[in-house]
Amino acid sequence: MALLELDGLSCRFGGLLAVDRVSMRVAEGEVRAVIGPNGAGKSTLFHLITGLVKPTGGTVRFAGENLTGLPADRICRRGLSRTFQLTSLFPEMTARENARLAAQARQKRCWQPWGGSPLFGAALRHADAALEQLGLTDVAHQTAGLLSHGDQRLLEVAMALAQQPRLLLLDEPTQGLSVEETALAVETLGALFSDGAMTVLLVEHDMEVVFRLARTITVLHRGAVIADGAPEAVRADAAVQTAYLGGFD
Amino acid sequence: MIARRAISFAVPLLALVLAPFALPPYAATLLTEALILGLFAMSLDLMVGYARLISFGHAGAYGLGAYASGWLLLHAGLPMLLAIPAAMLITGIVAIGIAWVCTLATGVSFSMLTLAVAQLLYSVAFKWTSVTGASDGLAGIPRTPGPFGIAVFGGRMGFYYLVLACLLGALVLCRAVVRSPFGAVLRGIRENEAKTLALGYNTRRYKIAVVVLAYALGGLAGALYAPFAGFANTELLFWLLSGQALIMVIIGGTGTLVGPILGAVFFMLVQQELSSYTDSWALAFGLIFIGFVLFAPQGIWGLAASRFRRGT
Repeated sequence: MALLELDGLSCRFGGLLAVDRVSMRVAEGEVRAVIGPNGAGKSTLFHLITGLVKPTGGTVRFAGENLTGLPADRICRRGLSRTFQLTSLFPEMTARENARLAAQARQKRCWQPWGGSPLFGAALRHADAALEQLGLTDVAHQTAGLLSHGDQRLLEVAMALAQQPRLLLLDEPTQGLSVEETALAVETLGALFSDGAMTVLLVEHDMEVVFRLARTITVLHRGAVIADGAPEAVRADAAVQTAYLGGFD
Repeated sequence: MIARRAISFAVPLLALVLAPFALPPYAATLLTEALILGLFAMSLDLMVGYARLISFGHAGAYGLGAYASGWLLLHAGLPMLLAIPAAMLITGIVAIGIAWVCTLATGVSFSMLTLAVAQLLYSVAFKWTSVTGASDGLAGIPRTPGPFGIAVFGGRMGFYYLVLACLLGALVLCRAVVRSPFGAVLRGIRENEAKTLALGYNTRRYKIAVVVLAYALGGLAGALYAPFAGFANTELLFWLLSGQALIMVIIGGTGTLVGPILGAVFFMLVQQELSSYTDSWALAFGLIFIGFVLFAPQGIWGLAASRFRRGT
């Protein structure tokens, strides 16, 4: 059974149909990329899945449970952790505190208004493990807002990982990175996804990155799915070629 | 290092405990009022400094606590030691509704809603004559002894220690709260609420909780003020007091808890000194405020802490 199932998911902003009856399955252990030209509705699709935007039609099912229309915090607590296209961190906290706050959300008594050393301890273990996985251990005690852009992008992934999600959603993880930073990020993420233990859905612009990381691809164009399948098949697809006009470079 | 920290806590604490013996009666009374205001300012700092919930209507909490404790002492005949916590509880319960309404909005709209609620309470205090005494307010509020005939807190010195105990208790409570997991989420809300929500925290609930706690402690300050002054009037609900509380927090140092207490003491001192020279003391205080905002945005506590760290 698929972990994430979208059925006829739609979102209309006034006259604009941003997401048009999208149906998609993400199986456990799959790394799937959602690609498409600018304005294809990729980020909106992410917002619909994670509850930041309410769908105007269709359903989102996760592990057999209907999540359609639930608020973002409750969807996240079901085990879906995401990053944002524009890096979203706690700029005045250290990298470690960022990851700790993310991990804390998965603890049973995350609201406890007293003490909490054991709770912080458990959260810190997950936080440190996630920082290490992304090679951020050296900058763990630096203020997040002062990190390089590349490290900030990776820190946001670390925060999502620290939550030990069942589904990881990455919104353009290499957005705004230099060539070197992109190479490093792809290498780090590739190593992370290689053992097939993680289920990942990612939106990406950079085709190099997509073909390096994803094993299946969904192509969106004007809000609708125009192709779905393995990278080679998608690359060869005529409709995809047309949507991208000049084709892939 | 630990020894220095211990000294930095023990010395001011000892000074506060011994103050009523060393100070002339008039000054001791002033200090009592300053500590009540300090508790009030600290409660506001919990919202402003830790969750960036800027309230323009914190006088609502103060006045509510003052009227509640005044009424309980005057008309319900409750002993002071029960009336004060009861008034705090009442303020906290009313604050659940206030917080629920105000957190429907964020940013400036939140501030405007807190102001609107406080002004609403102000109007109610003016119109509900049978309970609040309208423009006369509640006068002749007694420091009723009991229960079990406990009367030590009725005197000038006893009352000072009651206020000091409440302030220290509230400070210990607030420090525990801001350092707890709950406090960590508040920091998250302060820095990036959208992200905090996306991480799985129901941020609205956290905001309601901190507003209720801030109102309850602000209500405690008001509940102490009524038997301290012997009266409660509509000025305690007026927006001017809300603004002054914000100034105390900013001058003392937002997000430090202790800073706003110092800010309140400083405010009282300046008001006391300047008002004996001129009626337009508020003008001079305004200049001091601008000076702090421009040159010492970390406030009195920030200045003191940086001096302490340098070891001078």
